Amino acid sequence: MSGLMADVRFRHRGFSLDVALGVPPGGVTALLGPSGCGKTTLLRLLAGLERPGDGVIQRGDRIWFDSSRRVHLPTRRRRVGFMFQQYALFPHLTVAGNIAFGLPSKRDHLARVNLWLERLHLQGLERRYPGSLSGGQKQRVALARALAPEPDVLLLDEPFSAVDQGLRRDLRLLFQEVIAAQGIPVIVVTHDLDDARYIADRAGVMIQGRLRRLGPTEQVFAQPGDVQVAQVLGWSNLLPVAGVDQGHAWGGWGRLPLPASARGRHLDRLAVHPEGPRLVSDGDGLAGQVTRVMGLGRRTLVICRLEDRTPLQIVLTDGCAVPRLGECMHVRIPLDCVTPLHNGSLP
Amino acid sequence: MGETFACSPGAWWLSLQVAGVVLVLFLTLGIGLAYVLTLPIPLRGLLDSLVSLLLVFPPIAVGFVLLMIFSRHGPVGGWLDEMLGWNMVFSFPALVLAAFIAGLPLVVKPIQAAIEGSARDLVEVSQTLGKGRMATLILVVIPAVRGSIVAGLVLGVGRSFGEVGITLMLGGNIIGATETLSLAIYNHVLDGDFTCAGHVSAMLGGVSLLLFLLLQHFGVRR
Repeated sequence: MSGLMADVRFRHRGFSLDVALGVPPGGVTALLGPSGCGKTTLLRLLAGLERPGDGVIQRGDRIWFDSSRRVHLPTRRRRVGFMFQQYALFPHLTVAGNIAFGLPSKRDHLARVNLWLERLHLQGLERRYPGSLSGGQKQRVALARALAPEPDVLLLDEPFSAVDQGLRRDLRLLFQEVIAAQGIPVIVVTHDLDDARYIADRAGVMIQGRLRRLGPTEQVFAQPGDVQVAQVLGWSNLLPVAGVDQGHAWGGWGRLPLPASARGRHLDRLAVHPEGPRLVSDGDGLAGQVTRVMGLGRRTLVICRLEDRTPLQIVLTDGCAVPRLGECMHVRIPLDCVTPLHNGSLP
Repeated sequence: MGETFACSPGAWWLSLQVAGVVLVLFLTLGIGLAYVLTLPIPLRGLLDSLVSLLLVFPPIAVGFVLLMIFSRHGPVGGWLDEMLGWNMVFSFPALVLAAFIAGLPLVVKPIQAAIEGSARDLVEVSQTLGKGRMATLILVVIPAVRGSIVAGLVLGVGRSFGEVGITLMLGGNIIGATETLSLAIYNHVLDGDFTCAGHVSAMLGGVSLLLFLLLQHFGVRR
């Protein structure tokens, strides 16, 4: 099985998209980004539901779109499995009818439908209509319908957005298992960071129609690279850097040693992971005052205002002493929870 | 009851025939046009505006324009006369055309709105599952918007019974030949036969009421 490659440009009413990406077969690539960044548009371009202004899209050696050669394969001939955000199940067909819809021949319908009913734990629901299904059931029917014709690429648009939080964990596991078994390129568009962490082995971040970061999920989350990407990925502690000297970065908040990897590189902010810092009552570290303490089950969230009033979120795990509100403390930040960021360039 | 039919027996039969033919036309061309208007085709905006314009344009003026087009001296009528030696004006097909044009926006607009609203995603899913436009229309669009289709057909056929303006212009109101029910009422009043006018009006009102109830029934089910 070969991968999906796209290099496309698209304009519509003042919005412009310019993305190049490759998605290998097997595994899942998640696309993250704020609403309106063009994630869904990119999926629609790949599926042929929108037509790029120019560029190339190909799956293996099969060309789906090539503006220079005037090739634009219609959606129905691309063999894409597309799962819509609201599932878009056919209301007039039963669960079995929905799953069988994309199957080419009548011959082995029943066996194929039964196979997918079983894979997605939908047995017993085959004669039901979508109107009588729960959110989680609808979602599984939609996935079964998309995968039953054995597509060459699977595109999922916010697959978990209409499912209750409690169900999401189980569904993510099931999805991951079923999708990985297909061995085809899979793209999941989501704004939920946990979706990406749980089901994707590669993650991309889109901002204003551009793909700003793409790589292994762990690496992208740990080293966002620029400030906007860090914000999309949920980094909340972004200390502005006023200057760098002798392996240290400094600002109104104090002074911190830099990890070796960051030395000699331009940086605008330091991202501090909330689960690393420790609070101590004396000694070295950044000076700060505790302004908020919130219990989060087994953990405690502490907000500490540094010297220049920059808030720093710190998550204390079980066993750490919880400070009192208003207390003046010192924050010790280990090197490995500091990530240097640059401002990035806006398109 | 018998008296009512005795008033204008020919008109009853004629109106029912027109309604029957128009229903078939709406089922095919009406649904087809509604679907086409939701596809990204050239000149869609113009076509859409033309259909909508029929709703606000005075029927008698629409009738006049059609008369100009289909009369023996008009562009289409002249061609028909030359090629087939047939004059459409003042004939049964003219009545059908009048009823069709009058009811068209009432059929097309609700179906078009339903396809663009609830069925848009369904159409796209159908494409990703390998179905072409025709298969999508038959397997997905028509079943998914059947409530709106029934509503549109009821409105359109109901309108065909009440159509006067265009029918008068294209059909000519020839008693015994192109006198529909609505025109029969008009003719009875002109003749001073108010009893017959009353009977036919009451019956026609009854038919409309029946269609209205039918519409409500399907409206709720939708």
